[in-house]
Amino acid sequence: MSANGFTAGETGELPAGASTGTAATDAPLLEVSDLRVEFRQGNQVVRAVDGLNYTVPRARTVGLIGESGCGKTVSSRAIMALLPHTAHVTGSIRFEGQELVGLSERRMRAVRGSQIAMVFQDPARSLNPTVRIGPQITEAIHLHNDVPKGEAFDRAVELMELVRLPAARERFRQYPHQLSGGMRQRVMIAIALAAQPKLLIADEATTALDVTTQAQIMELLRDLQQRLGMALIMISHDLGLAATFADEVLVMYAGRGVERAPTQKLFEHVRMPYTRALLDAIPRLENPPHAPLAAVPGQPPDLAREQVGCPFSPRCPNVTDHCREHMPPFKEQEPGHLWACWHPCGLEGRR
Amino acid sequence: MSEPLLEVSNLVQEFTVRDRGGTKAGIVHAVSDVSLTLQQGETLGLVGETGSGKSTLARAILQAPPPKSGSVKLRGVELVGLKRRRLIEARRYVQMVFQDPFGSLNPKWRARQLVEEPLVAFKVGSRGERRRRADELLELVGLDPARYGNRRPRELSGGQAQRVAIARALALDPALIICDEPVSSLDVLIRAQVLNLLERLRTELGLAYLFIAHDLALVKQVSDRVAVMYLGKLVEIGPAESLYREPLHPYTVALLASIPSPEPTAERRPVSDTIRGELPSPLDPPSGCRFRTRCPRAQDVCAEVEPPLRQLADRHFAACHFPVSRDAPAPSGRETAQLAGGPHDPAQAN
Amino acid sequence: MAVPPTETAVPGAFDPAMVAPAPVVGGRLGRLRTIGGIWIPAFLVLAILFLCFLWPVIGPVPSPTGGSILNSNLPSFSPGHLFGTDSTGNDEWSRLLYGGRASLEVSLGVTAIGLLLGGLLGAYAGYVGGWREGVIMRVFDVLIAFPALVLAVAIAERLGPGLVHTIWALSFFSTPALARIARAATLRVREQNYIVAAGLSGTGRTRTLLRHIMPNILPELITFALLGIGIIIVLEGALSFLGLGIPPPAPSWGNMIASGQNILSAQPKFTMLPSAALFITVVSFNLLGESLRARWTAQ
Repeated sequence: MSANGFTAGETGELPAGASTGTAATDAPLLEVSDLRVEFRQGNQVVRAVDGLNYTVPRARTVGLIGESGCGKTVSSRAIMALLPHTAHVTGSIRFEGQELVGLSERRMRAVRGSQIAMVFQDPARSLNPTVRIGPQITEAIHLHNDVPKGEAFDRAVELMELVRLPAARERFRQYPHQLSGGMRQRVMIAIALAAQPKLLIADEATTALDVTTQAQIMELLRDLQQRLGMALIMISHDLGLAATFADEVLVMYAGRGVERAPTQKLFEHVRMPYTRALLDAIPRLENPPHAPLAAVPGQPPDLAREQVGCPFSPRCPNVTDHCREHMPPFKEQEPGHLWACWHPCGLEGRR
Repeated sequence: MSEPLLEVSNLVQEFTVRDRGGTKAGIVHAVSDVSLTLQQGETLGLVGETGSGKSTLARAILQAPPPKSGSVKLRGVELVGLKRRRLIEARRYVQMVFQDPFGSLNPKWRARQLVEEPLVAFKVGSRGERRRRADELLELVGLDPARYGNRRPRELSGGQAQRVAIARALALDPALIICDEPVSSLDVLIRAQVLNLLERLRTELGLAYLFIAHDLALVKQVSDRVAVMYLGKLVEIGPAESLYREPLHPYTVALLASIPSPEPTAERRPVSDTIRGELPSPLDPPSGCRFRTRCPRAQDVCAEVEPPLRQLADRHFAACHFPVSRDAPAPSGRETAQLAGGPHDPAQAN
Repeated sequence: MAVPPTETAVPGAFDPAMVAPAPVVGGRLGRLRTIGGIWIPAFLVLAILFLCFLWPVIGPVPSPTGGSILNSNLPSFSPGHLFGTDSTGNDEWSRLLYGGRASLEVSLGVTAIGLLLGGLLGAYAGYVGGWREGVIMRVFDVLIAFPALVLAVAIAERLGPGLVHTIWALSFFSTPALARIARAATLRVREQNYIVAAGLSGTGRTRTLLRHIMPNILPELITFALLGIGIIIVLEGALSFLGLGIPPPAPSWGNMIASGQNILSAQPKFTMLPSAALFITVVSFNLLGESLRARWTAQ
């Protein structure tokens, strides 16, 4: 079943359902090169993003995984140009070949929402509590399409059905507080999809939701992504979530990418000790009760300090003196698999 | 069998919701007739999502606020009905660690003060002895007292603040610590550190835990037994391994299916097969079985008769008319009288 | 439902991800705001306090009363009299300082009573709840219902003029106001988990109120009190103006403004000087209160 007006043919070149194979060889939809974001506060300079490189192919899901402070949220806000004035962005972000860094606000507004849309973590704060949800969706429609009111209403209801919001016509007139967290997030997704963007960024979109709701929303996102031929950047701290829903995973630490590979390859051959640590720290149902979790000591580094050597070295089980002095380069070391480490896991020969 | 450390019987907690004018608009049935026991040194995991009542249950056990009805016995002493000083005395051996470490530590106090507070309140030892004990406790949780003793909570990271909260909870040598989502607000790697700390303390000090979380995998890993709550009711309780291998209640099945697995090739059942729709309002819970509005196995009887919590396997209980088991497929026709009470054999459910 | 991870790289460090995409005033302009917002008013307040309380004691300031009529109505910048003398020969500069002292004694005294009595009672009411809260707050509600000046006049009339009586009269205004703030703040603080934790630790109610609740509502109370000092000074001025506050010949800014009114066209300085002093003082306290409030809510 395809919702009227939202078949993939209108949004991108790919027909709905084509999510493998040929997509990877097309020119990437989004190309992030050497992205750096600095915040200046008084004398302090905080390097929130310190040289990030990745691409997002069309109609694929890229999982951006890291803990708080790693720069994943800041980098996605940089893509949308939603950072405060204290942020200094350098590097390159190319969307369909167009450079976004340094773009004027007026031009950026044409991109935001209609080409790239974003769904945030806390729907309670992203939705206006004093406006009914219907008008919030139609507002998004009107922003990007010149349609008469009646048609906007129909499209809004279609969108609500697309995101599986039950009783769409009745809900149109409801206020956000009358909806549950999961339903509000669906409304957010509907708003994001109003202009049929080519790229959707979901920034911890399910973190604040219940486990069962989280699973439902993630399944919805995957389904939508396939049907609409949309690319999805999934930002999370949950590697398990990425494993289940992402085609490709990029792990970030201290403002940099540290490991990147197609999902299956990453989990079969984890190379970066940080990724290994993240994996080992996830409780598994298969573990017996009271099994200790492999824990890594220490804390993430202070981003205000200049990084000498690998930022993970204070906590890394594979660390040597070389690591502390020299920053490992982030490059392709096996086909399709990039990492930044002098002593990756599973490759003893290199020590 | 020795006397249980904690015995909760038929606990009920309700909140009155008032609208703007102050008139009563409804009653939230936060905890409805929950009973469970906890042995010395045992870890009981409590799982549930929003509105399940698990946090409310924890507070009700601690009498903060006291439950509407029911009984809570700690070491055989009834806590319900005790007031002020008597309650403080009787409740001494149960402590709590909260989800948000910064909310549970007075921002104006320093770490050492915070850890000492229970000792001061119970007038344990002299001032010097209390200070020494506080330093000992800080070391026990992995914080160097010289470096961290004088810090205020805002000078601590999330993991460090939670360690201070744990140190405080240990001050009076409790027998039971209620952990209400103790690691949910911490980063993944720090979570593992704090969980390992809790585990180490458990073995070193012989502590019992009531471990509350919404992450079933986490709960299962740290617990001996696990209880599952939904909309104020206890729907399943049993040994951790049994719950995982042979979940009985459909809601438990849904929870298990929702866990994102770091095994990309593992076969995954879509969550929508296991659970439907949205959480009903706790002001007006569904009649009969509260889960029936979302349950793929629900039948007519589920709306009429509330399923009691029954033993269906070794130490494994579930409240369901059509429990799940490997042998029994989902019921297709109408099942009525044969399931209204009496011992139930899962193999015959069809 | 789940609280997102709050781990920051360094405790208390600036977390860029948390900055909202609204213009933040950083750099030079921000520092200027801090200087203007906090340091200048703080300096002014201290200067005023110094001038009115310390300087008359240690410096060459003549008595504000008992001047010889032979010296009356000297113009400004006369030798020994910076601002001249009034109709009875009192040095105007001295009257300004001593008048300020009286006005400030009243306003600070009233604020102190308000903080102590109102703050404690309000916090107690918010903490214990129940009928006790009801009784306390209804009493205060009745007092708040009266317009401040009407209430003050009524009570001052009963008690008669004088410094101490004025302080009592105006306390009927500050105490209920601060009690309300204290109660509201307490209701918020009471729900925090560290209060529950204190109860679990065995801490009794008195200690919880004094050591847990009060320190956490104090910033709010103090900022409100600072903003109120201005109002109290003006009220004192009004009372004195009406003949109820500080009785002449003892100066207060209020009665100075009142007496200067009669000769406003001929000798405006007798009204203008205390008015200017009043204005500077009230604005300084207000600015200080405002910037402290902004700082403390941002934290």
